[in-house]
Amino acid sequence: MIFREVEDRDLIAKARRGHVDAYNVLVSRWEKRVFNYLLRLVSNREDALDVSQDVFLKAYQNLKKLDDPVRFPAWLFRIAHNEAYSLLRKNRPEGELLVEPRTAEASARMYPMELSLAVSSALSRLSEDQREAVLLKVYQGFKFEEMAEILSCPVSTVKSRLYTALDLLKQTLAPVNMGGVQ
Amino acid sequence: MSCSGVDLKAYFLGELAAAERTPVETHVRACQSCREELERLNLTRTALLSLEQEEAPQRIAFVSDKVFEPRWWQTIWHSGPVMGFASAGVLSAAILVHAFAAPGEVRVPAATPGTAKIEQRIDREVSARVEAAVAKAIAETEARQDQKIARVLDTAEKRYESQRLADLAAAQQTIAYYEKKMNRWLVAGNDIRPAQ
Repeated sequence: MIFREVEDRDLIAKARRGHVDAYNVLVSRWEKRVFNYLLRLVSNREDALDVSQDVFLKAYQNLKKLDDPVRFPAWLFRIAHNEAYSLLRKNRPEGELLVEPRTAEASARMYPMELSLAVSSALSRLSEDQREAVLLKVYQGFKFEEMAEILSCPVSTVKSRLYTALDLLKQTLAPVNMGGVQ
Repeated sequence: MSCSGVDLKAYFLGELAAAERTPVETHVRACQSCREELERLNLTRTALLSLEQEEAPQRIAFVSDKVFEPRWWQTIWHSGPVMGFASAGVLSAAILVHAFAAPGEVRVPAATPGTAKIEQRIDREVSARVEAAVAKAIAETEARQDQKIARVLDTAEKRYESQRLADLAAAQQTIAYYEKKMNRWLVAGNDIRPAQ
């Protein structure tokens, strides 16, 4: 007997025919990644969970519009991006500047918990666009082309945001790590 | 190749094709500043990846509803192989019927109800069921809420009553204690009448 792992495209095909159970399996494969991406964007656990639920509901309702199942990850994160920015726009009054992030100076030697705090702080110091570029590339492993699709912008813009973000993060985090985290 | 001609970040992020990677690697081996820059980028990534990915506080799952489940004909319609066999069967039957049946009078099919009407009916039916399901869910939630409030009130009332009884018992004990003390004092020959 040949065992074949059920792939996302099989689940998508079934979900498109109205099989909710197949869709639930698909959700279970992606919910952690989507939740963490949203958590870093909206910086609030409850909002991240609410938006995750909206994302998966919207994805289910529009699954038939997905031309190529191979593009599902980028398509799903495109929905997540739109939902997150919709929430951020709603929560931020007109004209308000970006919230100034907490400052946590990184010292040469840090314990893992301190390093996590330093990383969170360094990420929160980036602009939303830069932070999202880092999240999509470093944590989600998307290619530049996919990121451009998710963010609806040219590849050159994606590269510019990501490169600037890396330079800023490097200044804060590389000395920390070079100090030696045990 | 000079440092300015090297897209070190694209190399570091795995965005270069195999043919583009080789000249960058050759340059990095020869250039100390690019080696150090690459090392800093690696350290930055290591630090970023130390941030643990959190579990969602609650599983996300959707519940199947009969209203939205596909009908048997939809299942067949969306299944390629089944539709293929069915089409072949219908075609074969049509050829056989055509071969054996005598040509008869052409009949105009009776008018069928418009699809728009059927769709409207389906929409109405779906809306009615969804509304009923929502109303039922709301009613159940409210009933649960009422029960919870009643339980909380009941618990508070019992707690208050037991506290009141305990206070009463303590007061009675105190009174009895002082009565006994007073009696002992009188038996000992003391007079509580005011002095003349």
